[in-house]
Amino acid sequence: MNREHCGPERHGGARVNAGIAIAAVTVVSLATAVIGFYGLRISRTTGDFYVASRTVRPWWNASAIGGEYLSAASFLGVAGLILLSGTDALWFPVGYTAGYLMLLLFVAAPLRRSGAYTIPDFTESRLGSRTVRRVTSLVVVMVGWLYIVPQLHGAALTIHIATGLPSWVGSVAVVVVVCLTVVAGGMRSITFVQAFQYWLKLTALAVPILFIVFVLAGHGAEPQSLPAVNPTGVAPAGPYQNVSLLVALLFGTLGLPHVLVRFYTNPDGHSARRTTLIVLGLLSVFYLFPTAYGLVARMYAPDLARSGQPDAMVLRLPGELVGGMPGDLLSALVVAGAFAAFLSTTSGLVVSLAGVISQDVLGGSVRGFRLAAVVSAVVPLGFAFMTGSMALAGSVGLVFAFTASTVCPVLLLGIWWRGLTDAGAIAGMVTGGLLCGGAMIAGAVAGSGQTPAWLAQPAAWSVPAAFAVMVIVSRATSHRIPGTMPRIMTRLHTPERPLATER
Amino acid sequence: MTRVRVTAPSASARTAVRGVPRPLESREAAQDSEVGQVFVRSLIRSQLRLALVVAGGFLLILAAFPLTLMVVPGLADTRVAGIPFGWLLLGAGIYPVIGLSAWLYVRTAARNEARYRDLAGEP
Repeated sequence: MNREHCGPERHGGARVNAGIAIAAVTVVSLATAVIGFYGLRISRTTGDFYVASRTVRPWWNASAIGGEYLSAASFLGVAGLILLSGTDALWFPVGYTAGYLMLLLFVAAPLRRSGAYTIPDFTESRLGSRTVRRVTSLVVVMVGWLYIVPQLHGAALTIHIATGLPSWVGSVAVVVVVCLTVVAGGMRSITFVQAFQYWLKLTALAVPILFIVFVLAGHGAEPQSLPAVNPTGVAPAGPYQNVSLLVALLFGTLGLPHVLVRFYTNPDGHSARRTTLIVLGLLSVFYLFPTAYGLVARMYAPDLARSGQPDAMVLRLPGELVGGMPGDLLSALVVAGAFAAFLSTTSGLVVSLAGVISQDVLGGSVRGFRLAAVVSAVVPLGFAFMTGSMALAGSVGLVFAFTASTVCPVLLLGIWWRGLTDAGAIAGMVTGGLLCGGAMIAGAVAGSGQTPAWLAQPAAWSVPAAFAVMVIVSRATSHRIPGTMPRIMTRLHTPERPLATER
Repeated sequence: MTRVRVTAPSASARTAVRGVPRPLESREAAQDSEVGQVFVRSLIRSQLRLALVVAGGFLLILAAFPLTLMVVPGLADTRVAGIPFGWLLLGAGIYPVIGLSAWLYVRTAARNEARYRDLAGEP
């Protein structure tokens, strides 16, 4: 292999050694596949395929949730955005983590106690309506597909920068590995894969940045720039944008289908809460590192922001600041971690989407699940080819806004408000989806930089609008409150009997 | 050791089995009684109040962080171990607050449930 063949040189960014990078990506993919196939031997029933028979320990489960949640946006996008706009961008990691706090407070235990597999299962049993189920399924599938596309863009960027291969190779590689592991092992093996990938991602970010800081301190290097100085002419975000972003992240997390499906793998409501508590710790530790990358890059390598690809900063920083063989190895480690991020988030989304599609369309068999998994991975691949990539953290932020305007209101009101009706839920989800989706399309048509702030960050008005419509229509149709409501509310909120008697 | 039932019952299947007393249903029947529902409502109310209080408190602290940096001039750029204080506060200082809020919530929510168990006379 030609060791000198590297990423696009016209950017003048640091080089990543292609041979070592390809080896790193191959090792991650193989490890994922091996753990997946190992899991195959212990997943046999339909229950295993969907929710790992609900026997996963909190620590495993928490690592798996962390692994699944930390996507391309967290691994590459957040650090790139911090490099570009400094402390304004720190709201991204804070919001991603605080979203889990909201999930813990309002959703974790009741959702586990609902006994449903998927969000459509939940809305159907709570509101007693097949139509609500279909609308929820549609929304969940849209959220999942929207969320997979930035992962594939991230994979395309990483493969291109790291190996010089054409971008499409990265997206296709992610889809192929995900399809193989999901089809082979289902949820149970995915749990092991995800847990492994959390720790891989943490190592892949932590080791290089600690090494870099050590080297910089050892050489007594002088900072090239102050942390407060923006390396490019990007205007700082106004208070409206920061608030709207926080609304999207705080309320969007509790509607993400791949995150919610994880709660069904806890044995009971209390352990669902304990798992979430551990997840919060894992996320807090993880997000210190993208922040550190952003800060170090602003001080010592502000040039990386001017390459036009701030998302690639994490991949280039070790080569830029360390260089030589150690730099190559550290870059390869980062590439491996990034690839793990694309794989784990995509496979988590594919599992949850496949669960929804196969139950609603294909009758819920294991064969149907496998077919649905392939469909849920291949469709977003088409979207990814058709659309150009935008800043990863930004596009994932928009998906959170969409989730916060659709799934979040129906979950929160369904769990806590007795007055919710099927008509209200549908009206609210449709309103939120149209408003937020409309803003996303308008923003995409206008192009970045041309969009006014209220359109670029729609959550601050689309989320309240969805809640308002849901409440008003439910009030107007209060005769439609299902008779099963008191019993289901009881089930959602009362503790399970002690495990010893139940199992 | 029996397995927990893992399939999500469809709405039609559930209506079909209603009336056939399963062990779980006798417990649910006790909760359906008027007194049982009073306990359940009070549990839901106290859990919701707890969640809102924790969320509200957290959001207040979250808002206080950038406001402090804005109000006290020069504080954001004060260096602590070479790192500007603004970065430390927003980049690392918020996480302990999140963790503490979560821990308080989990403890109190479990306590609310224990009180409900005592009231409802469950084992």
